[in-house]
Amino acid sequence: MTDLVRQAQQGDQAAFQSLYREHVGRVYALCLRLTADAAEAEELTQDAFVRAWERLATFRGESAFSSWLYRLTVNVVFMSRRAARRRAQRVFAAEDPGALERPGRESNPGVGLDLERAVAALPPGAREVFVLYDVEGYRHEEIAQLTGIAVGTSKAQLFRARRLLRGMLES
Amino acid sequence: MTEHENPPEFRELLDRAAQLPKSIAPPHDLWPAIEARIAGKRPGTGEGGSGWVPWLVIPLAAAAALAVLLLGRRGPPRPGEAWEVTRVAGVPLVGTTPLGATGALKVGDWLQTDDSSRAVILVGDIGHVEVKPGTRIRLVRAQRTDHRLALERGEIYATVDAPPRLFFVDTPAGTVVDLGCAYTLAVDSSGDGTIRVSAGYVEFDWSGRRSIVPLGFRAETRRGFGPGTPYAEDAPQALRRALAAFDFASGGAEAVRQALAAARPEDAVSLWHLLGRVDPALRAGVYDRLATLVPPPAGVTRPGALQLDRAPLETYWNTIRRIAWRRTILKGIRDIDPRTGMAR
Repeated sequence: MTDLVRQAQQGDQAAFQSLYREHVGRVYALCLRLTADAAEAEELTQDAFVRAWERLATFRGESAFSSWLYRLTVNVVFMSRRAARRRAQRVFAAEDPGALERPGRESNPGVGLDLERAVAALPPGAREVFVLYDVEGYRHEEIAQLTGIAVGTSKAQLFRARRLLRGMLES
Repeated sequence: MTEHENPPEFRELLDRAAQLPKSIAPPHDLWPAIEARIAGKRPGTGEGGSGWVPWLVIPLAAAAALAVLLLGRRGPPRPGEAWEVTRVAGVPLVGTTPLGATGALKVGDWLQTDDSSRAVILVGDIGHVEVKPGTRIRLVRAQRTDHRLALERGEIYATVDAPPRLFFVDTPAGTVVDLGCAYTLAVDSSGDGTIRVSAGYVEFDWSGRRSIVPLGFRAETRRGFGPGTPYAEDAPQALRRALAAFDFASGGAEAVRQALAAARPEDAVSLWHLLGRVDPALRAGVYDRLATLVPPPAGVTRPGALQLDRAPLETYWNTIRRIAWRRTILKGIRDIDPRTGMAR
């Protein structure tokens, strides 16, 4: 466990702010890709760090702090999703031809721009599994645990996501 | 689907996915909003900083009395009771003794940090105080009903989770009274200072002069003058200058006029304080400007406010402080109308 984490656990907000600076980009990227909505990603990033502060005492150093934080972030996103189904109305649907042109998220210039947009345009379930599996490196068993879906569903959503993405990128 | 089950047409896609940046900077800094939300909370407790309402005298008094009663069951404070102090960085001194990893701060002891040392004092079982570098602070009293430090110079960050009026910090410019809050208090070598509140409310008293500083506000303090008029962290410079002139430089009517001209609806907390501080001849002007910026709620009459009747002032204050609280706590999340406190 790092000194910063230890100090933050003792209530040192300056130390926690340093942890925030170190990890906010990764947390925000995760929230942004899972939600495909920049404003929502900001809210969830805030929620994730607030939750991390509230649960900091439960971090025992058995894994890297970053792993703990990113897993917690995924939990925050999915808990928010379950609590507010309305979010589904805000994400882009692949079937919507205008989806790729719509504002609502920050584009990431440079490498991967098209892929980022294409990921954002995936149906929610497929996008989440793709982001967690192919971008973040979680295993299907972990995704199933985090999202509450079956392992088989996770595999099927990944297959679907990849096929849709490939089709979008080639079109 | 495992990696070796991937059809060939997915390989390029996977390579590109692996190249996506793991980190994306948010469009703006999210820390201020996060800081506001965690202020007053201890890690792992999930307990929020309480929004103590300074004018709800009866429930607060009842809560305080209950707390005193309950806490009193644990027995009277032991003579010479000490608070635990933990070294965070460098080598703080307790008296003249270097502090180890942890130590005890007894009543009468001074804790001193140099430019590179920091420490945390546990305030009995109700909170903690982070002692920043360059600070000299003394434990004055360690009683169940009176947890008291004296800050001679330097800076502290205090977080207290307890009924109001159990934790006090004496400074050369007056006494900080905890109303259930978190705050940063700085005092320079001349005894002047600043208090910034990051959760709940703080009362600052000196010789009958009182300022109530809510979340998101600050107040200057001056030796021999006490607390200045609180102002919002984002208050216009013109308002700050006018308040400083009024509070500490005998600015009089001209300073009040400038303050009123510079004030926005977000500055209602400042104008509310001015109501009770200005000469009676200037009070109507302050009230009228305040009423323009934040319409008074039902039950607040102009004559009552100008006579400084307690009930209408409390009612008005409750409206103003609720708006200020919502505006600060929802910063970056919702656009709050500073005249009404409602989301726009």
